[in-house]
Amino acid sequence: MDAGLDKVDAIWEKEVAIVDGIDISGPWNRMFEQRVVWEYTPELIDKVAALPGAESFSWCYQCAKCVPVCPVDMVGDYGPRKLYRKAQTGVDLFTSDDLWLCTTCMNCVRVCKKVVDMVKIMPAVREQAVLDGFVPEELQKAFEDTAKYGNPLGQSQRKRAAWTKKSDVPVPIMKDLKRPVDVLWYVGSYPSYHPRGIDAALAAARIFHALGVDYGILGREEKDDGDSQRLAGETGLFEMLAEHNISMFEKYEWNLMVVTGPHEYNAFKKEYKQRFGFDRPIQHYTQFLADRLDDLKPLLKHEVPLKVTFHDPCYLGRHHGEYDAPRALLQAIPGLELIEMGRCRENGYCCGGGGGGMWLDSFTQNHTVMRLSERRVLEAAAYGAEVLAVACPFEVSRFEDAAKSTGNDQLRVLDILELLDMSMRGVSA
Amino acid sequence: MSEGTVLIIGAGPAGLEAARSVAELGYSAVLVEKRDRLGGMPDEANYAKLTHHFLDAGEAIGELAAAATGHENVQVLTSSQVTHVEGEPGAFRVGIQNGAGAKTVNAGAIIVATGFQHFDPGRETQYYNYYSFPDVITIADLEGMLKAHQVVRPSNGQPPERVAFIQCVGSRDRQIGNEFCSKVCCGIASKQAIEVKQQLPDSRVMIFYIDMRMYGYWENELYWPAQEQYHVNYVKGLVSEILPKGDRLLVRGEDTTMGRPMEVTLDLVVLSVGMEPSAGTRSMAEVLGLEQNKYGYIAAGGPTGIDPVATSRPGVFVVGAAAGPSDLDDSFATAGLAAARAVATIRRSNGA
Repeated sequence: MDAGLDKVDAIWEKEVAIVDGIDISGPWNRMFEQRVVWEYTPELIDKVAALPGAESFSWCYQCAKCVPVCPVDMVGDYGPRKLYRKAQTGVDLFTSDDLWLCTTCMNCVRVCKKVVDMVKIMPAVREQAVLDGFVPEELQKAFEDTAKYGNPLGQSQRKRAAWTKKSDVPVPIMKDLKRPVDVLWYVGSYPSYHPRGIDAALAAARIFHALGVDYGILGREEKDDGDSQRLAGETGLFEMLAEHNISMFEKYEWNLMVVTGPHEYNAFKKEYKQRFGFDRPIQHYTQFLADRLDDLKPLLKHEVPLKVTFHDPCYLGRHHGEYDAPRALLQAIPGLELIEMGRCRENGYCCGGGGGGMWLDSFTQNHTVMRLSERRVLEAAAYGAEVLAVACPFEVSRFEDAAKSTGNDQLRVLDILELLDMSMRGVSA
Repeated sequence: MSEGTVLIIGAGPAGLEAARSVAELGYSAVLVEKRDRLGGMPDEANYAKLTHHFLDAGEAIGELAAAATGHENVQVLTSSQVTHVEGEPGAFRVGIQNGAGAKTVNAGAIIVATGFQHFDPGRETQYYNYYSFPDVITIADLEGMLKAHQVVRPSNGQPPERVAFIQCVGSRDRQIGNEFCSKVCCGIASKQAIEVKQQLPDSRVMIFYIDMRMYGYWENELYWPAQEQYHVNYVKGLVSEILPKGDRLLVRGEDTTMGRPMEVTLDLVVLSVGMEPSAGTRSMAEVLGLEQNKYGYIAAGGPTGIDPVATSRPGVFVVGAAAGPSDLDDSFATAGLAAARAVATIRRSNGA
């Protein structure tokens, strides 16, 4: 027998297994995984690095700074540097479950000394995996719904403006308005369709109305931005949506676009610009309102006496460096006490919804001890917050579910828009 | 006699040794130093002991300065700066400014020994909260404490029970642009770890690293004693973040050989900051018209590409850390070589 096999046999001979103090010895517990590394596979690293945008995968020198700041590793066993090591020892990332765990939150890139850019690597590999048909089922459904209905929730395109009927202030739609506006408000899929997203949209409409903003929405002419689908590997779908949306943006005259969601902000400001040359002024709603704080403050007449902590959206904070606008709005609300969690601003935790995570809930759950959103809710509760404030339409439903599943029903999850609206109208949510 | 003069800029270890070598070869050395003291960074930053020799830094550098200044062929100009240089090998005219006014020195060759500065952990981002947490210090800060035999937590003045070093801060980093290894920090951290254990025998000392770069004798003189005699814990895996934990510090990282997350509570964290070209190196490169590499160091190599003291300008040589991260051995070796090259330049221009 060759020496290598002797070594394996020696491990198979191991007869005692004690886990957490419990003796579970028995033949079923002997090594069932190959212990000996038989081969190193640089070609599996090269296979990733050969994709456009993924070159930096091969640069990793295993310093491991990325692992402790990775939100997925915090609830599981993941971490960007491990992907390199696994590829080196025989794991093909293209067919590995690891491929779908990254939320593209960018915290690894922030601390990486060699600038290994997972935000570019993951979409590149996923794009190939999608072409090869290796896609988790639930993600595939979100792709199909987006392609069919123009939104990942699988709701009718014709009903995209249905939420406006619930509004107690007029919500002008560009098609009916037939005139130029100052602000084009891109509402987004979740604020248009999701019940809790609609709450934020209604609040925004009231705030814009009260501020006298001359704005319009696209209504039925608006489709999902597609950026998260792109990050999850569906580049073709993203391009289709981008072409549609850009043609609608260009159909009307406006000076500034305001978006409800950070993912849309990233899509239009960065991706639509780089890939399609769409280069117009865009602001996230927190920036738009923070710029109008002098006009907004007199409207915030009622106290909102709540202890509030803020979850920085990855795509507003780390991806675009905006940390102050949301805080300026929260601090403008009378009576509101803003407290910071340990993981905030540059090192903010991730809700788990980015990069396709929104549509990989069950898949990710099988690889983690708890949802990222649950981990975050526990942190917010530990800091004694009464409200977890958010500024991304992905987050409200994620965190509300997490608050329930972790037994923290007392923690309310509110979009900053809702908190502003509460202060404006003197009603509690 | 002016054709027999070598002008040396910077009076740190490399500049002092170059001046001494030139003088002992029978030529004149004019040593120009911006500060009012000699000794360079080991003096300026209060080094305790030298790496790797464990010599008392003050004494060793003092002897070096005395050897240079005590030589009749060496003229020292402190609190002085070079303002411009013209001419060619064998006949440079160097403008020098000091409190007394401006003057011109004729020199046949020039040696640049303007050295390095320690990487500032707050330069790009707040690296490891250096500027917010008093108990996060740098190896340069620790040198001063070791010298004074006062290794304490700055937050409360108490001796630390648990000390850790984080390697490669400001080095090997594409993000901040310092892609090079600073060469000396692995040795310095190991040296300091030994000294901490000598001064505080009950303390626990750890070193978090990517690769320990202990070339040549540093392996057996620093790394092995640190581990074997002083029980310093070496852990492979860099720390990602430092968080406050009560009045102590929680460092989070990954123990990569175990593949497990790591959260360790500490009293004092020492950042092993690397080297960057000093302000003097950058400004002298401009004044002398010397090519710099992408990191701002003076480009060495010369026409052959392998000459460690040749610059882009004939007759001007670079020594020590002005050309890139260097230890003392490098500084001495290049100083001697540059002295020989400078003297040879003068002899050639004199028709020798």
